[in-house]
Order: sequence, then structure tokens, then C-alpha cells
Amino acid sequence: MATRALIAGAGITPATSPRKQRSSSLELVQEAVWAALEHSGAAPSSLDGIVIGNIDGFEGTVLGAKHVVRRLGLGTELPVSILNTGGTTGGNLIQVAARQVRSGDRHRVLCVGGPTFFGAEDLQSAINTNSPMVVEQPLGMGAYHMGAFYPSAYAERFGATVEDFAVSAVQDHEHASRNPYAHLRNTLTVEDVVSAKPLSSPMTMAMVCPVSTSANALLVTSESGAAGLRPVPVLIRAMATSSDPYLGGGKNDFAVMENLAILARKVYQLADVRNPREEIDVVEVFSPYAPMQPMQLEALGFAPPGGGIDLIRSGATRIDGDLPVNLSGGPLCTNAGVAGELAPYVYVALQLMGDAPEVMQVPGARRGLAHGTGGTFFQFENLAILERQERA
Amino acid sequence: MTITTQRVHWDLNYDVHLGATWGRFMAGLTERKILANRCPDCSRVFVPPQAYCESCFVRTGDWLELPSEGVVEAFTVAWQSFRGGPTPPYAIAGIRLEGASTLLMHYVRGLDLSDPSNVREQLPPGTRVRAVWAEERTGQILDIAYFEKV
Repeated sequence: MATRALIAGAGITPATSPRKQRSSSLELVQEAVWAALEHSGAAPSSLDGIVIGNIDGFEGTVLGAKHVVRRLGLGTELPVSILNTGGTTGGNLIQVAARQVRSGDRHRVLCVGGPTFFGAEDLQSAINTNSPMVVEQPLGMGAYHMGAFYPSAYAERFGATVEDFAVSAVQDHEHASRNPYAHLRNTLTVEDVVSAKPLSSPMTMAMVCPVSTSANALLVTSESGAAGLRPVPVLIRAMATSSDPYLGGGKNDFAVMENLAILARKVYQLADVRNPREEIDVVEVFSPYAPMQPMQLEALGFAPPGGGIDLIRSGATRIDGDLPVNLSGGPLCTNAGVAGELAPYVYVALQLMGDAPEVMQVPGARRGLAHGTGGTFFQFENLAILERQERA
Repeated sequence: MTITTQRVHWDLNYDVHLGATWGRFMAGLTERKILANRCPDCSRVFVPPQAYCESCFVRTGDWLELPSEGVVEAFTVAWQSFRGGPTPPYAIAGIRLEGASTLLMHYVRGLDLSDPSNVREQLPPGTRVRAVWAEERTGQILDIAYFEKV
């Protein structure tokens, strides 16, 4: 019988750099899984599914996720679903888990987000292999080179400067400084961001995410599966994914996030959100490159075209504003691959449960938006509206 | 003492089968021709060509040759590269060839890349560029060596 899907547990490990990390990928995933089970209060034997993912070629194996599952210590009979959708794998874990639950097939499915970026000696070199082969791969682009096309076109359309693009980096770092699970917890000034080493015009190194090592896990349940668990359940009110053309050159316009705007209209309609700025209390968007964030806020209807930077400058997106954005510090401060893409869902769920670390908790948050994006030139988007479900 | 990492190395070659559509495009490049094709429903022109229109979900129809000139719509200058990548700095652009509905990604050369702060003024809105062909052409995207300002 069809049911609604809820989130009823989350676990995160602290993050650090590959150089300082002393745990293996498996050990980090084990820590996150057991933290999520402890947070939820669910017994391992009550799970009836695992959804886990990996990214081809990023870990020196293409079966990383499959190898991990048996060694989590959760039993031998659990059905496993493995996703491999590149950079969007983490966000798609919850999309798949929720559909398994909604179909009535399963009641307690654990989404497992592992660290998938920290094996590659040169991550940009690995990412180049995910570029469209033959026609775009030979053109010297890693992920941040592709990411730079957006602010370049946005600057031309709206006159934004490097100083303008620095504002979301400054804010993300300020937020990350309060997040005990964040990797980069230093604060920055606009001047620090602008004067950092140029990577790919108009982006500097301070506008680009680090390679982090951490893991997380999220328990998705049916309504009956949530019964007896500890956290205030969070309803997955609406969620969807969307896709752009395969080639970067197939994008119609780099100055706007058209694909995300289309997806947002669909998800808002499903969730009956009519005025997102007023109706959403907390937001986590996937902006591993700082200039993406104002563009995403525009596509999500929080600001008019060209108005995203002003929205951030207004203070509305700070912890004490009316639309707190990326209180985790976002992927700009912590990006561990699959775990980095699951993180927006983990953090929004914790906010709505009231279980975020106290220094970053938004009081009384009831409805949140979580977003992920990835793939060549950010071809794929995923988005969800989550809602706190008060217990009767 | 604790040992934390061990290096693993992949050294594998692959052959990507181009198929009829990209095969014809690559053959065109060897003759200094940039071939595109058109969706019979929405009339959009694709370069590189594609067998199906991703919007209308129909097979593409007639082929046409595009001029080797166009306009830079988006670009970046890579100040850092990656292992096995080109030597930085280099400029990459999304180029709208005349008559195309998609952008063709390629290198733009002939710019002064000595100072990050004066790159944008060298590629103002509407900058026209043209393809410069490689001497030896073997049917790959780098048969167009790069684009340069007209």
C-alpha cells in the first residue's frame, strides 16, 4: 500500500582533508551509519533496504559501494540499491529510497553517503574523464573550469564583478565556522576571496570547494516505519530530478540556471509552495563554486534574475535572516563527493527535527528546501521540499 | 608508525565508437568542414550533430555545413590545469557558430593571458572568432586547432 516517505534519522562524521584523514572510506561510512541508527533509535535488524552510491573512476574501483555494504555489520539479508549518477549520486540516494518507501515495498531504508573524492591524486583529472568524450573532453576542462562558464556569462549579462561573486563565499565560511562537522571553518573577507589564487576566470581558489573526507547517512521510513523512533519525523513533501542536454554546448544560456528553474516550478507545485521566500524557513543549496549560489537562489524564486547577490548582501540568508541559506557552510566548505551531495538533505532534516547543532539551529524551522546538482556542466539537478511533522 | 595510504594506478586504453552521426562530423573536420544537423520539428541546428533532438524526441533530419565563424557567448581562462591536461593559461569558450542553435566548445587562442584582470576586456560581448585548422587532420575535435578573434 502506498504511503508517505519520512526522514527519521541522520548521522554525520566530522570532516577533514585527505592528508589529515586517518580513517578509511569504510570506517567513515561505518561511523556515519551507526550514528544515524543511534540518532533514530532504529535497530539494525529493523532495516529493510540500503541505498548507496559511488562515482565511476573516482576511487580506483567502480564497485566501491558494493564492497562497503557487507562490511557495515548490518546483516547479510539487506537488499542493496547502488546508484551511480556522477556528482548527483548523493542527492539521488534519497530520491530512490523515498520511492521505495512510497511504493509500500520497504519501511526503513538507509541512505549511505560515502567519501568518494579523496582517493584521486588529482581530482580534476578524474573529473575530466567524466566530460563528454571525444567532443569536449579534449578541451582541458575539469569541474571548476566548467563551473566558471556560469559566472562568466552572468557577469556579462548582469555586470557582476569578482567582488560580487565573493559574497556567498564569505557567508558560507561564516556559517561553516559554526558547524562542528564542516571541513573549512575559517572566516574570510571579500578581499581574501578576491585576492586568492586565480583558478579559472572569474573564479579564485577561495570560490572553489575543497576535497573533503567525511560520510553521512539518512534513514528514510514509511509512516509506520517512523513509529517508535526518536526524532520528530520530517516529511518528504515533494521531490524530483531534472536533466539538461548531455553536451555543455547544449545549454541554452549560461547566465541563468534554466534547468533548476524548471525543476523548482515542478517541485513547488507538488508541495503547493506559492511564495517560496515566505513559505520556506531554511535552505541548503549545492553550490561548490561560490558564484553558483546567487544564480541558484534566483532559479529557486528567492530573487529576481540578477538579484541573487543583493539578496545575500541584504543579510536575509544569514542565520538571523528570514531565509537562512547553507548554515552548514555548504559544499564550498565541505565536499566529500557522494556524502557532499547527500549533505543538504541531512542538514535540512536535522534543522526541521530541531536536532542541528545548537549554534546553527534555526528556531522553529518547519519547512526546508534541499538541493543537489552535478554532472558535466551541472547537467543534473535534484530538489526536495521537507516538512516537520509534529506528533499528535 | 601508522601507514595511511597506498598508491593505485590505472593505465587503460579505450576505443570510443563514434556511431554514424559523430563519425560523419569527424570525417567532415578532416575536410575543414563543420557539419551540423537539424531537428525536423523545432528546426534547431545542432553542432556537434546529434541523432535525435533532445527536446522533441524525434530523429534529426537534414545535414548542413556551418561557417567556421561565430560569436563567443561564454568563456573561462584556466589559470590552473590538471595532470594530463593542457599547459595553463588557456582560454575555453562556448562559441555560437552562425546558424547554430547550440554552442561549440573550443579553445580561443591569440589572447594576452599575462594578467587575469584584463581578460574580460579582450572578449567583450559579441566577440567574433573563427576556426583555425590543424595542418594534419585525423577526424577529431582538435582538427580545429583553436579559434581566434576575427
